[in-house]
Amino acid sequence: MTSTVSGAAIAVAPIDFTDRTLPNGLRVLLVEDHRVPSVAINVGYRVGGKDDPPGRSGFAHLFEHLMFKGTKNTRPETIDRLTEDIGGLNNAFTADDITNYYEVVPSNYLETLLWAEADRLGSLAVTEEHFHTERDVVIGEYDQRVLAEPYGMLDELVNRESFVVHPYRRGVIGDPENLRAATLDDVVAFHRTFYRPDNAVLVVVGDFDPAQTNAWIEKYFGRVPKPAGPIPRVAAVEPAQTAERTYTYRAANVPLPALEYAYHIPEWRHPDAAALDIVETLLGMGKSSRLYQSLVYRRRVATSAQASADLREQPGLFSLRAIASAGMPIKAVREALDAEITRLHAELPDAAEMERVRTQIASSFVRSRQTYNNIAVALVRSAIERDDPGALNSDLDRYRAVTDADVQRVCRRYLTAENRTTIEYLPL
Amino acid sequence: MSETIAPLEKPPSPGAPHRAELPLPVERTLPNGLRVIAFPQRSAPKAYAVPIIAAQLILRGGASAESEAEAGLANLTTTLLTQGTRKRSAVEIAQAVDGLGARLDASSGFDASTASVTALTHVFEQAFALLDEIVREPSFPSAEVERVRAKTIGDLALSYSNPSALARFVAQRVAYASAPYGHPVAGTAETLATLDRERIVAFHQRFFRPDNATLIVGGDCLPDEAFALAERQFGSWRAPATPLPVATPVSAPPPQSRVVIVDKPDAGRTAIVAGRVGIARRSPDYPAGVVATAVLSGYSGRLNQEVRVKRGLSYGAGAQLIARREPGLVIASTLVDHTKVSEAVNVVLDTLHGVARTPPEGAELVTRKATISGGFSRSIETIDGIAGVLGELALYGVPLTELGDYLPEIEAVDAAMVQRFAAATFDELFVVLVGDARIFGSAIAAAYPNVTTIPVAQLDLGQPDAVRR
Repeated sequence: MTSTVSGAAIAVAPIDFTDRTLPNGLRVLLVEDHRVPSVAINVGYRVGGKDDPPGRSGFAHLFEHLMFKGTKNTRPETIDRLTEDIGGLNNAFTADDITNYYEVVPSNYLETLLWAEADRLGSLAVTEEHFHTERDVVIGEYDQRVLAEPYGMLDELVNRESFVVHPYRRGVIGDPENLRAATLDDVVAFHRTFYRPDNAVLVVVGDFDPAQTNAWIEKYFGRVPKPAGPIPRVAAVEPAQTAERTYTYRAANVPLPALEYAYHIPEWRHPDAAALDIVETLLGMGKSSRLYQSLVYRRRVATSAQASADLREQPGLFSLRAIASAGMPIKAVREALDAEITRLHAELPDAAEMERVRTQIASSFVRSRQTYNNIAVALVRSAIERDDPGALNSDLDRYRAVTDADVQRVCRRYLTAENRTTIEYLPL
Repeated sequence: MSETIAPLEKPPSPGAPHRAELPLPVERTLPNGLRVIAFPQRSAPKAYAVPIIAAQLILRGGASAESEAEAGLANLTTTLLTQGTRKRSAVEIAQAVDGLGARLDASSGFDASTASVTALTHVFEQAFALLDEIVREPSFPSAEVERVRAKTIGDLALSYSNPSALARFVAQRVAYASAPYGHPVAGTAETLATLDRERIVAFHQRFFRPDNATLIVGGDCLPDEAFALAERQFGSWRAPATPLPVATPVSAPPPQSRVVIVDKPDAGRTAIVAGRVGIARRSPDYPAGVVATAVLSGYSGRLNQEVRVKRGLSYGAGAQLIARREPGLVIASTLVDHTKVSEAVNVVLDTLHGVARTPPEGAELVTRKATISGGFSRSIETIDGIAGVLGELALYGVPLTELGDYLPEIEAVDAAMVQRFAAATFDELFVVLVGDARIFGSAIAAAYPNVTTIPVAQLDLGQPDAVRR
């Protein structure tokens, strides 16, 4: 039995989507597929944690919650009634560059949900009371994700210390003190500033009739006016880092010491993005990956070791995180991680490893195509974070084109000590 | 707030529903006793074919088959399947799996040990052969036993540091004491230290045999192809002459109203788990139990409404019905600020008691049932998901026709059935609290009669009462 197959053999049908922009600026992407009698509806807004108003860290995320709190036409939780109550689901997430709202419902409810999404884009109306309750919920989410979750605070620290100038440094979940200072006026201003059709992408994937669906979209979304004036954009540019920054933090609820290396990398649209994804896979995906084999398996200095190419709309981070084995000093983890980086700089990966990595990345890409909502979220993110939904259909080709020399080149270029922020995260 | 588009407009009504196509499982038993279940991928015009095949091999016998002293044995044995065979080392297995872009996993629960593989169609046969290799020919190398043991102990420390995870482990002990569902599936640092290779080999020999197994294969292949594949790969597997192992009965102590506090001063928030032992998967009350749980769960469910939406006490709250071969737990859980524990416990218990007092009628019943049907439909949207649902039915001895019967059974549940289930189940409840007891301990002690406090340093999940000896 052969132990590898050619990644080139993996063929996947492209996502066949229509792409048009309504006169009010709303971009509409539709994917028709009738495997299951349901539809996924996503509305992504080009606003995220990095766009939080000054002194209001976490506001985009708080605002995401308020989008469920009623409109001129509906009471709070109407979206929940219209989804959960018919066996569907809805949720939303806020990331650094995007806030995305989604519903998955039986296909005969598509018109209802298109109406509801257009309604909260056009006429959000939140009361003081709901604003206060929901603000407490969001602070509760902060407590749960950042305080109660082991290593929850580490994610926040990585952003805060890696970026000096760029608002990515504030993260998404924000700061409870800033949130307590927020007012209902902030909510009104934020909706007016960012929740406009020319700042949104609507995606529908699943069991629908395209002509009928387009007519509904025109009817409900088409009437939301496009406001005059520009949408504010983050113009801050993070200066190139010239020397390693190292921090040590101690916190409660750190079961085992952790070490994080975060390197500045370019934006998702950059030609080096595919090679960075390949490096992420080579270092961190599966038990044959280099970090697992070295840190966890052979040297046993770490209980887990991950790599992440966190590609964003603007330059993001490539991070490596290892959690030490019980009783293992952080120095041993550091030596093992450094050895892997030195190896990436010094040696080209061999052909078998390159082939394995390409196969892994292509297979996980195919797996991620199984549900309507996964396809919809991928389209929204690609449309907003790299301004090109169709880029999804050429990702596999881009991965195939990455050579061993590309891997070495991007590692030498980005995974350097002077481009790095190092955080040692230790128990009290 | 901003401009109005059309005041007091109502949402448009739904159109006629589209029919769902259910995958139809078919089964056959091979001469060696292996039960094989195959299911085809759904197909429809204008649909993306997903070129994936999934296989799952389920062996009766998991953590409930091990003694207290050998807690963690099933899980350790199963975890080691991927760490060495007669033909390959752990590294070679990992390289082979990743080289195919496949997923190969093995784990144990209380009632079963499971090994599964998924791969793209054109390499599935090779991935399927790897599944066979780890199930039939594991070598359990001593060095790997030590490594996996150490890693499992490290992982336990990590999961104990999460108050919500720890509260669930404690809840199992509070509900079952020394009965088979009481100890942690992964064992404890103390029990793991005593498990040697000899016991692992014996566990494997005892449970890994074709007449104790069900194999599920489906996705991008026709049932006949799946049966042929199963026969070709597993047809030569022979059952030993020894009798099949018999499942250990689970005799939980009677439920009792009590509060168990684990004082964990470094917890960021307090985890609350309230519940008791409920029903088995095959119980005729199962559909009523599912509906009662749905009334409590989800964003619009009663627990989240009371805890989060009305009071902002937490980011979320919900309930879970764990129905196994024998009665599993029915629990409600949430995570709150240490200062809000007393209020939240009161709200959670009152909401649970409220189901029998005010059973769901009319719109509430209709909508909560819809959440069940929607959840079920989504659970069978992926190939792995269908294999998982079929595997659970096969394991618990439920006919495979349940795939089609499940939603009609849920539909048939009425308010009286939910009330009967709730009255019998949401009573004599335990409450487990994991958090900083300096802040809430005295308020809880004043409000409830039967309170036990365990400092986290004294906690030992290897003991029936969870207290270190």
